[in-house]
Amino acid sequence: MNSSTRNQGLSGPMKEETVLEMQGVSKVIKGKAIVDNLSFDIRRGEIIGLLGPNGAGKTTTIRMMTGLIRMSRGDVLIHGHSIRKDFKRAISQIGAIIENPEFYPHMTGYDNLKQYLRMSDGAGESRIDEVVALVGLQEAMDKKVKAYSLGMRQRLGIAQALLHSPKLLILDEPTNGLDPAGIREMRDYMRTIAEVEGIAILISSHMLAEIEQICHRAVVIQNGKLVTVTQLAEAPEARSEVALTIRVDNAGNARTVAEALQGVEVTGTDEAHSELHVSLPDGNVPELVAALSEAKVGVYRITENKQSLEDDFLKWTGGNRIA
Amino acid sequence: MRKFNQLVQNEWLKISKKRSFTVPYALLVLMVFVIGYIVHTVAGADTYASAAEFTADSLLPTGIGQVLVILVIVGIAGIVSKEYSQGTIKFLLIRARSRTAILASKYVTVLLYSLSMLLIATIALFVSGMIFFGLSGGDSGLSDILTSLLYSSVYCIVYATIGFMLGILTRSTGVTIGATIFATTIDKIIIYRDFYKYFLFPNLNLAAYKDGGAPMPGMTLNFSIVLLCIYMALFLLAGFAVFRRRDVA
Repeated sequence: MNSSTRNQGLSGPMKEETVLEMQGVSKVIKGKAIVDNLSFDIRRGEIIGLLGPNGAGKTTTIRMMTGLIRMSRGDVLIHGHSIRKDFKRAISQIGAIIENPEFYPHMTGYDNLKQYLRMSDGAGESRIDEVVALVGLQEAMDKKVKAYSLGMRQRLGIAQALLHSPKLLILDEPTNGLDPAGIREMRDYMRTIAEVEGIAILISSHMLAEIEQICHRAVVIQNGKLVTVTQLAEAPEARSEVALTIRVDNAGNARTVAEALQGVEVTGTDEAHSELHVSLPDGNVPELVAALSEAKVGVYRITENKQSLEDDFLKWTGGNRIA
Repeated sequence: MRKFNQLVQNEWLKISKKRSFTVPYALLVLMVFVIGYIVHTVAGADTYASAAEFTADSLLPTGIGQVLVILVIVGIAGIVSKEYSQGTIKFLLIRARSRTAILASKYVTVLLYSLSMLLIATIALFVSGMIFFGLSGGDSGLSDILTSLLYSSVYCIVYATIGFMLGILTRSTGVTIGATIFATTIDKIIIYRDFYKYFLFPNLNLAAYKDGGAPMPGMTLNFSIVLLCIYMALFLLAGFAVFRRRDVA
């Protein structure tokens, strides 16, 4: 039930322009397909999670998108430009951090950014100040990168990726090694970037909670194959049935009331916790609440039984087997 | 062209911002003066007639040219391999520049570095010669210095190219330095077989043709120049082909 509403795949509610198009991308090394016929796309301003267990091919996929690794078959189009045949045009639309952000340690943060500025077309020196202000690194720009903490290097990495005003930001495990405050900050940056600048973001991670919190959609892969594309930020009208747990003062009475209503299905009661489990159409919830209070059943809590992304993920990928 | 110049500027900054950047230059100058002093005191002040003669003689691949090559190799061995070991290759290759242009800018930087070392060596030798042997006397002049500089440049640039290629192929700074320096120590050995003239080593020191000589019988200056060009082209071709095609994993 739940997954059918999530599996809207490529026909999501937004009809924005496509920024990235994966067309049957494969990577075969020594006869073994590391990535196998992978196709999905990303639209403007969208935050996409690339999920998969260890060894699923996430990093290989990202390296093919950025031209670091040649693909055996298929193509990646960025704003319609092929990364294979029109590399320079395609890559100029991409900003990326692949695995850890590594800089020249003996140079200052500013010198490092200038290196990348000299390699991009059309961005002036004032752009450095803009991106540095965005990631809040003004104080550290004159320090050598070897004196940076991992959190500072991550920020410099984002600054580097945004320098040439790309249309697509690719982040490979962006919160790896960050403390909780850093993770939260990173999340805020990404929201700002996607909403304010309209940049599409692709995040690869195996931290499910993180993906669930900020991504609009998740692409799940396993053994290099596409498992599912799932909608995470669901529109309320999209789900017709909801599963609720209602904590009441008298579970028996509540059950009688609920069963009397049309469309409400009682899936169980938990006498020990005085809880009632029901499943009903979204529109019938107020009716049920009214009926309960009319019958003088005290309602303490109503919680929705959401199937978490983690449950789905384990279902899709069959536990944590490493390929 | 401006784009390419900026790539070269990037590469030059990467090596020149290192704290150890001036060390090879300082070592080179120090050595030149020590040699001048030793020749002056041990062999006598009349060993060389003038600063020009001292410079022209010492600059050859058999003199300070050999040390210079080692310093150059140490200086540039990491230009490609360090990008891999530091992980900076990922940020470097996801720019709107072709891999060919990026590698070419690195090679140009290698050449610039080699030339800067050669120039410093020449100037230091001349100053040292002025101090120990005086300016006037003898029949050596500017043209002799330039001829020696040319021989040494060829020797140095061929080795720099070998080091550049090895750095790409092995992605290891240590192996590059080790293998190239080993080559410089054995390149004076000559095997008197006819096929050996087609090897790189006997053709490296063009100074051997000075005054009508030859490193091995049957070899001419033109023969060596053609052979060196072929070897250089092969080294560069191998380096560029591998760098362009390699997956950055």
